[in-house]
Amino acid sequence: MKKTITMNLSGIIFHIEEDAFEKLSHYLQTIKGYFKNAEGCDEIMNDIESRIAEMLHSKVSTVKQAVVMADVESVIAVMGKPEEFAGDSADTKDSSQNKQQEDATGYTYTGRRRIFRDPDDKIVGGVCSGIANYFDFDPIWLRAAFAIAFFAFGTGLLLYIVLLIIIPKAKTTAEKLEMRGEKVDVNNIGKAVNEEFQEFRKKMNDLGKEMQSPENKERMRSGAQKGADFLKEILYRIFKGVAKAVSFLLILVGVVLMVALLATLFGRGVVAVSDGGNDIRLSLYEICAVVLPDDLQIQYVITGLLLFLGIPLLSMIYGGTRCLFDIKRKNKIVKYAGNLLWFVGLGLMVYVGIKIGADFTEQSGNKQQLYISQPAGNALYLDLKEMPKDDERKIDRHYSHNFYRGDWALISKGDNTFSIGYPRLDIVQSQADTFELFVIKTAQGFDKKDAANRAKNIEYKIVQTDSLIEFNNYFDIHAADKIRAQDVKLVLKVPVGKTVFLSKRMEGIIYDIDNVTETLDSDMVNRRWKMTQKGLECVDCQGLDEAIHLSHPPPPPVPPSHEHNY
Amino acid sequence: MNIENSKAQMKKGILEFCILSILSNGDHYPSEIINKMKDAKLLVVEGTLYPLLMRLKNDGLLSYRWEESASGPPRKYYKLTPQGEQFLKELEVTWAELVEAVNKTTRKDQ
Repeated sequence: MKKTITMNLSGIIFHIEEDAFEKLSHYLQTIKGYFKNAEGCDEIMNDIESRIAEMLHSKVSTVKQAVVMADVESVIAVMGKPEEFAGDSADTKDSSQNKQQEDATGYTYTGRRRIFRDPDDKIVGGVCSGIANYFDFDPIWLRAAFAIAFFAFGTGLLLYIVLLIIIPKAKTTAEKLEMRGEKVDVNNIGKAVNEEFQEFRKKMNDLGKEMQSPENKERMRSGAQKGADFLKEILYRIFKGVAKAVSFLLILVGVVLMVALLATLFGRGVVAVSDGGNDIRLSLYEICAVVLPDDLQIQYVITGLLLFLGIPLLSMIYGGTRCLFDIKRKNKIVKYAGNLLWFVGLGLMVYVGIKIGADFTEQSGNKQQLYISQPAGNALYLDLKEMPKDDERKIDRHYSHNFYRGDWALISKGDNTFSIGYPRLDIVQSQADTFELFVIKTAQGFDKKDAANRAKNIEYKIVQTDSLIEFNNYFDIHAADKIRAQDVKLVLKVPVGKTVFLSKRMEGIIYDIDNVTETLDSDMVNRRWKMTQKGLECVDCQGLDEAIHLSHPPPPPVPPSHEHNY
Repeated sequence: MNIENSKAQMKKGILEFCILSILSNGDHYPSEIINKMKDAKLLVVEGTLYPLLMRLKNDGLLSYRWEESASGPPRKYYKLTPQGEQFLKELEVTWAELVEAVNKTTRKDQ
């Protein structure tokens, strides 16, 4: 049993066995090669082809339908080998007067090479050997390159799979011949350009002749027609060139973005978020660690992103490659699979979104009173305790990536990531005659209980040293709790007649404190404020301009300190 | 010197003359011309004929018309143009002279 190819020779359909077809097609190409410089090459070829068709036609019947090797061989024997009648064509070359012109414009056969995977020389899918065939080099270098790229986040593997899908396999002998068609090299490109130029010149000449010929308007119109056709062709070629350039760009951008995507998903890549001019870099894993609910695997996010963003990138590369290499064969399965996978990715992203969103359904919180000992005098000094100096320095050094959104921050410290939030302090009038400090913690969760639990887990510290209260400028969010809009609000109740002093650093924590003069928060620091029946009144605000000298609160008495930890 | 080459060269020169002669008896399509020439052992391979016909046509000695064929593709029927007939006449004269001259110079019994 043998496979046959359907062949159209001079308008007659033949079923021809593969090897016979290869032989015949090679034979015809060789003849064409001999005649390519002769005048009327096309016509000679047509005559020869129609003669061969006639001979083959007599060799097939209803009982013997296929053309076999023996038929082709006998036809070739009758027609003769090209070298046997080549001398004649050489004679014809210089015999004719108008040879020069014909030669320049004559059709030359260009068996343009096309890209195919080579099934006869393959390690995996013949991709490397196919590409190497196309560009004429040893496939071993490409194989080595792919092997190395395999370790770059699997980029090599992915690219290989993409190419495996895009580049069709050379299944038939005809395709195998095309695969090794005329070489694509500089000379060849030069030749092609030259041909185009000659054609262009011929057309211009023709056009010129048409114009000059003393014929009637009919001729002029056909001249105009030719001009239009010519213009159309030029535009088509320009368009094609642009399309190729664009497709090359598509491939380039697609591959670069693909590498970036894979690096983000599988490497220790980063997601950059702009925050008022500062670039904040976080890895996807860090974000997921603090945002994803416990029962949601990070794989959902990774798979979702990979499909949702990766599939369009792949199709970019796919389309670009198809256009660049003029690949005609379509692969429907790949198309449908691609679409399906993209929707799977979309579904996963939506699922993750809903899951996270569900964790923000309810809000709950608690209000606690923090015990503070009443100061000996009538004044309370308020100061902000920033992150321990040591810690801060480390953070600056190692973790330029903090992520501010609203009032929480994400800090990575070595391999650990922890999240903190920023509290706000308000000062109001107390009904009692003592200072009272309340802390209101709130958080969100999928139900009230969940939210309340989270709120309870928020850790916030103050340190009182006699009349000095130091507030921490951050609160800790329990790692297992994730970030769920945790918030801490502090309310200091000041009895009428008593004063508070706000240190300069308190600027970082006070928020919209009501006072009788409607002074802004930033102007309230470094001042003493006395609670009156009407509200807070500034005690030492006279001569505001020269009063910047108090950068530190007056040193409070130094009794043994005790720490409250809630 | 390659003897085959010399033989081929000799034949080639008279091929044109023979083709024109065949066509002077009526219109023919390439296969018929080939068969006649094969009978006369003038032609070894058919491939030689096509470039020749093309050249003669391009020189204005031949013209052709298409004719449907009962089996196979349509055929090209070639015929002599008036210019071709004139050309043939001249060749016939030259050929007669040549035969005589060659006979004279190659005859051994002289």
